[in-house]
Amino acid sequence: MSTNSRDLGRREGVFEREPARRVFATELRECRYQFREGEDEKSPTFVLLPTGERCNRIFIVGTLTEKQRQGDQNIFYRGRVVDPTGTFFIMAGSYQPEAMQQLAKVDTPAFVAVIGKPNLYQTPDGAFLVSVRVESITVVDKETRDLWILDTSARTLDRIDSMATGTSPDIAKAKEQYPAIDVAVFRKTVFDALAQIKI
Amino acid sequence: MDFSETAERISRKFSQKGTEIDPKKIEGKLRRLVNEFGVQPSEAERSVNNELAKEFNLPSMGSGGSGKSSGGSELKKIADVTPGDWVTIEGKVVSLSTPASPAIAQSGIIADESGGIRFVAWAKSNAPAMTKGSYYRIESAVVDDFKGVASLKIHSGTSVKECVNDGALIPSTVPIINLHPGVGSIRAKVIQEWESSHERMLQSGLLGDETGTIKFVIWREPGKEKLAVDSVYTIFYAQVDEFNGRLSLNLNTAEIMPEDSDILVSGGSLSVRGAIVHIAPGSGIIKRCPVEGCNRALSRQNYCPVHEIQPKFIYDLRIKGWLDDGMKTHNILLQRDVVESLTGITLDAAKEIAENNPLGMDEVFLRMRDAILGRYITCHGREIDSRLLVNACERLTFDSGEHAALLNRSGSAS
Repeated sequence: MSTNSRDLGRREGVFEREPARRVFATELRECRYQFREGEDEKSPTFVLLPTGERCNRIFIVGTLTEKQRQGDQNIFYRGRVVDPTGTFFIMAGSYQPEAMQQLAKVDTPAFVAVIGKPNLYQTPDGAFLVSVRVESITVVDKETRDLWILDTSARTLDRIDSMATGTSPDIAKAKEQYPAIDVAVFRKTVFDALAQIKI
Repeated sequence: MDFSETAERISRKFSQKGTEIDPKKIEGKLRRLVNEFGVQPSEAERSVNNELAKEFNLPSMGSGGSGKSSGGSELKKIADVTPGDWVTIEGKVVSLSTPASPAIAQSGIIADESGGIRFVAWAKSNAPAMTKGSYYRIESAVVDDFKGVASLKIHSGTSVKECVNDGALIPSTVPIINLHPGVGSIRAKVIQEWESSHERMLQSGLLGDETGTIKFVIWREPGKEKLAVDSVYTIFYAQVDEFNGRLSLNLNTAEIMPEDSDILVSGGSLSVRGAIVHIAPGSGIIKRCPVEGCNRALSRQNYCPVHEIQPKFIYDLRIKGWLDDGMKTHNILLQRDVVESLTGITLDAAKEIAENNPLGMDEVFLRMRDAILGRYITCHGREIDSRLLVNACERLTFDSGEHAALLNRSGSAS
């Protein structure tokens, strides 16, 4: 008699949501490589972090310092979210009406938690820009911000450690795409971020 | 090429079921297929088998290639039978259940030392009635696949004889994770008892052992008793059913013995720490169908997919969402009490908001979303079908020890 057809059945067609990676602004700003997995129109795009992890979605907590409404026909909002290491550029357009309305409601400055998708752009003068398309944004308290710094520090250190020992294809790709970056600098980023938490 | 041996075999097979066919006629059919149409001999045997079975209105003879086609006269272990086989087995009737249809004379479970199998004796088979606890030799029964489960069919061509067997039959139990549809024996602990969703249902809940958990049900029948929560039982010959890829146990057929020992149930129990990254539609305050045993969530128009419009719905709270630790995202489902403690909004308060607000139930969703989205929590629960059913959860608080450890770790190599 067959055993465990049960496990096969369960695995088939099970939807796996892309996890939201934790990354500091300083590291995200260094991204220069974006790729798509699969040929399908709906296949996800990933931005490759210099510390060797792909991200299709990120979770950030910081201070919304500015927001701006732009466009006439197609209204969208831009905003700046600041963490202890740098700035994230976020945007929400009419394709994300929920997110746009959430963002419209927030008064600056405020601690916000943002879940969104990073996208890499190149400006006409050749500079790279990573912008985060917001899926949702909520106002949170300082404790959540501090928890995020701990969380993001731990994840970033894990990635730095894996760069030295790990062998995943994404790690190899990161070494190839970012030859000029020594990931040890992000250790300093983490230290500085942690040092800003006042006990 | 000589076809007489194959023809003999086919003829024997049919005569066992009470149909005499001239081997010469069979041989002619085989010869024609092989010589004129270039059919492989094994395929020819199969197709003649099927053709004759159809002609004499017998159940299909299965794939019976020459290897298998011993006509089922050799004794087989119950664990070795597969759908499509004609088999002869010897076993003990360990359970009899009420037949589901007048076309069925008897149904139940027969077992040998290798395992158990469900059987059905058709009313038309005129087979002698079997009694529970006795041993029988069943010759030329056919094994088929009923709802994904192997089942032994006793038809008019099957011979059923009581036989003597003095050895005690003690089935071996298997870990829950190794159960498969059919018949199974386990040793497990009752870890949850669920509200009965049907008046015919005596009890339902969750059984667990070291390897996993499985839903169980006991239907109301004379002599059936409820199991006690947190007690350990050895369960012989339960029916294992599969529905939507999920297994469940029907204990009505089973022999159940309470045990003194305890089991450390680990299966599926999980704690996840992470941030809530999404709250799905259908969260917040919802309306449920009031029909007993239904409890489905109603649409905005109070429509139940089964019981249609239900104006006398029952309010409930729930949150469906995603909890993300940065490496993996877990689908979570929070029940009412967990929602109340996490959001600080009780069911009564939510009702008040929903009924006195222009946005109605949406307002509850929005307030709950604003209260918990993007927050760090730890959820404790049980993972079933890749969804974490949360029994309890708490908000994460800042841990200065962790802060210090991370400072050390980040400073160590710089």
